[in-house]
Amino acid sequence: PAEEAAAPPETPAPPAGNLASEYTEKGADTCIKCHDEDSEFPVFSIFKTKHAQRADKRTPFAGLQCETCHGPGANHAKKVRPGEKQAPIIAFGPRSKLAPDKINPVPVAEQNRICLNCHRGDARIGWNASAHDSNDVACVRCHKIHAARDAVLATATQAEVCEKCHLKERADFHKPSVHPVRFGQMACSECHNPHGANTDALLAQPTVNQTCYTCHAEKRGPFLWEHAPVTEDCTLCHTPHGSIYPALLKKNLPLLCQQCHTVAGHPSVARTADSLPGGVGGPSEFLLAGSCTNCHSQVHGSNSPSGVKLMR
Amino acid sequence: AGLGAQPLVDTSQWLCKYCTFEKGWSGTVDLGATYVSEDSFKFGEYTGLNKKGAYFLGDGSARFRGEDANYWNIEATDLGLDSRSVSLEGGQQGAVTLFLNYKELPHFISDSAVTPYFGTGSRSLTLPTGWVPAGTTGGMSALPGSLHEVDLETKRTRIGMGVSLIPATNWRYSLNFREETKEGTQRVAGTFFFNSAQLVMPVDYVTDQIDASASYSGRQLQAKFAYYGSTFNNKNQSLTWQNAYTPLLGGATEGQLALPPDNQFHQLLASLGYQFSEKTRGTADIAFGRMTQDDPFLPPTLNASLGAPNPPRDSLAGKVDTTNASLKLVSAVTGQMQLNAAYTYNDRNNKTPQAAYVWVTTDSFVNAPRTNLPYSFTQNTIKLSADYRFTPRLKTSVGYDHDTHERTFQETDKTREDTYWARLIARSRENIDLTFKLSHAQRDQSNYVPVPEITPPENPLLVKYYMANRTRDSAGIRVDVAATDSVTVGLGADVSRDDYPDSALGLTNGSDFVLSADVSAMLTKKTSLHFFLNHEEIDSKQAGSQSFSTADWFAENNDKIDVFGVGVKHSVLENKLDVGADYTTSRSTGAINLDTGTPTATFPDLVTLLDSVKLYATYHLKDNISLHGAYWYERYDSKNWMLDGVTPSTIPNVLAFGEQPPSYHVNVISLSMRYKF
Repeated sequence: PAEEAAAPPETPAPPAGNLASEYTEKGADTCIKCHDEDSEFPVFSIFKTKHAQRADKRTPFAGLQCETCHGPGANHAKKVRPGEKQAPIIAFGPRSKLAPDKINPVPVAEQNRICLNCHRGDARIGWNASAHDSNDVACVRCHKIHAARDAVLATATQAEVCEKCHLKERADFHKPSVHPVRFGQMACSECHNPHGANTDALLAQPTVNQTCYTCHAEKRGPFLWEHAPVTEDCTLCHTPHGSIYPALLKKNLPLLCQQCHTVAGHPSVARTADSLPGGVGGPSEFLLAGSCTNCHSQVHGSNSPSGVKLMR
Repeated sequence: AGLGAQPLVDTSQWLCKYCTFEKGWSGTVDLGATYVSEDSFKFGEYTGLNKKGAYFLGDGSARFRGEDANYWNIEATDLGLDSRSVSLEGGQQGAVTLFLNYKELPHFISDSAVTPYFGTGSRSLTLPTGWVPAGTTGGMSALPGSLHEVDLETKRTRIGMGVSLIPATNWRYSLNFREETKEGTQRVAGTFFFNSAQLVMPVDYVTDQIDASASYSGRQLQAKFAYYGSTFNNKNQSLTWQNAYTPLLGGATEGQLALPPDNQFHQLLASLGYQFSEKTRGTADIAFGRMTQDDPFLPPTLNASLGAPNPPRDSLAGKVDTTNASLKLVSAVTGQMQLNAAYTYNDRNNKTPQAAYVWVTTDSFVNAPRTNLPYSFTQNTIKLSADYRFTPRLKTSVGYDHDTHERTFQETDKTREDTYWARLIARSRENIDLTFKLSHAQRDQSNYVPVPEITPPENPLLVKYYMANRTRDSAGIRVDVAATDSVTVGLGADVSRDDYPDSALGLTNGSDFVLSADVSAMLTKKTSLHFFLNHEEIDSKQAGSQSFSTADWFAENNDKIDVFGVGVKHSVLENKLDVGADYTTSRSTGAINLDTGTPTATFPDLVTLLDSVKLYATYHLKDNISLHGAYWYERYDSKNWMLDGVTPSTIPNVLAFGEQPPSYHVNVISLSMRYKF
């Protein structure tokens, strides 16, 4: 919730394409005449947002009001004959009708530049050439500027916004073992920085493990007896969004462990369904209940002098 | 101040007299009740709706807008549930912001566990008086009479507070603090030789985190300097439990597990962004951190008869230095072409002292000493890519990533991976957006040798999958169609395949295939429809050797997951009555096949099934009062052969919790009233 160090709009949005460069006579009062609550593009909810705070000199309404972001609007505000179209103005979003050209609206990069004009610091330092930038994602694809509440900024509603594009992740959060995102208890941005970071998967911390430790600090150690893949990367065994196996594991035990553990004796034995209850082999400690973790329960590391086999 | 740089626009008539700026207080209060028809930890896993009965529903929000940009926002959610939260934020916009928040987050893990142990939730588990130890669980004569239910659940309680100041244009200082306690119980297990018991582990953690930062956001230069500190404190250092079995060796009557030790992490971070020119931008991040852990060691055993020597040190003096750095340069060399280069360095330098520790196997006998292996890792990544925009509607990108991982005390010192990728983003005149991506990666390692310090050794034919030679091919396509002004369709398909050509044992290949569809439609001005569908298949193969030679068994995993959802919203009477319905279903199967060369029984599928129906209606009684009613039915069923039919005494040498896979049919009815002010 911390306020960002937004820079004031030192220069207004540059006119793009065939847009005019002349400002309206009365600023927002000119715009509001048409853009009332019954119009196709109502704008009044902007007055419930931080952008409409004249006492904060950094905001659009302390500057050129609507035209701070939408550019000079005199031409657009001119009266037209019935059936005739208004002259275009900078509009945001992928399909804005009054964009300079319906097929070629203001390019995403141009739209974003208008936002970045002020919002260029802090978490957005690395925006350029980040995953969302490279994929031509407009700021307004996620953020609702003319809304009292921007859904992407609230924990309970953020995931719905992200999942509009991240369809696989939405399905992942319907799996039986998940982080509590679907229940509105956790936001995507607790782990990810959507504005760009030079990390894998836009992680908010420098590495996967540092990200996980922000909530799972008990796994940080360092332990006397470390389990090598655990210290390297949590995602070698776990999947972060959802799994059909308990504890967000990528695979069922004992096969998960047997991908790496082949020493002579019990770890290398094929555990078949013969060892299920009622099977010919009798119910097996290697397969049932906690499987390998029935004995090796300290898989994340142990600080006991006798914990070398992760059993103490 | 910066507004001085505005162009000369005569704004003397820009009075904003029609601007409806907010003033004073406004908000909403929701009060009501909900009824849940059945006890189920799985249903209420993260929400707290885990018990049959009535719950108070309380939510609210309030905002204040005053003169001089003063403001307050207050939010309260789920006040009647174990997932309640309250937050408060305010100050003077553009000058100072304060926040304070409180959040509870439950995790209801299991409601079907039973145990004979007393003291659950404490650091000492004891058997009931009159317990008769036996060689197997079936022989424990006092077991049936002493089993009692034990709930496994944790609760996080998070208190956060912070302040941020804008002391001057473009600057911000911020200080945030968060304390999180996690209390409750979790599943663990303890063993004496091959005789184990599932145990209740006490969870009583406190994690404090501090973030302090100063950031500058200039036109050309942006910078952020920060300190991050995190301390973890566990109120229980160990868990001791009595041996329910007849000790195989004398004196092994009690065991002790080490619980996660107290630890700390401190980190200094800096981020810089510099706009060299309109076309060229560079960013850099660097973070130096140190993790430490120095909790006193437990004794190697509680079994005094073994005469085990004390550890060579009193505590670990564990110390790991982390360095994370990255550099990125982006340049739009022409109007059409952008070149990107990034370098990342991640280092975990484990400086924990090594020593030889005499260790005791499961409190039963003394072993030859083993030396701890403090693992270190270094990762270097270079990413180069070029974007070329043929037309405003067609952009292609190609890239090359080179990644090296270096490790200590592991089978291979270094792995290298080269990834080549290409992407096309196209937008048609018919409002179709298309993204297509292809990538191919090749990872190689050299000189894979089992770690000599680890005994007994792994099979020399094993190559652990995260260090193994690997080819990875993936392709993804995404199509978004704005079919009409009111209908949008999103379709996606992703496929990825990993091959480990040189792994005779271990994981040999894996693949993932995902199909997604999403449709949103405004059917009429009053009715909207939303629908989504997802199908995923995750397959993998691995090989093992029970003869400790070449592969003599093979396993195959095939997971299939289907999720389907549909939702309708309809305005029956404009501004008076809104209704809606959502249906979601999710099914998953996990099939495991083992081929040992001889006929064996086959595993039943691991199955989960979730169906959820929600119906809701909002009736606007007055401008400021509305009534909300909802009915929610959800059923869940699961089959898991690890648990199905496994009672505490099913496995002769595992005193199990006897947990059964969750299953529920829950009906929820809720009614609430919203008052708007």
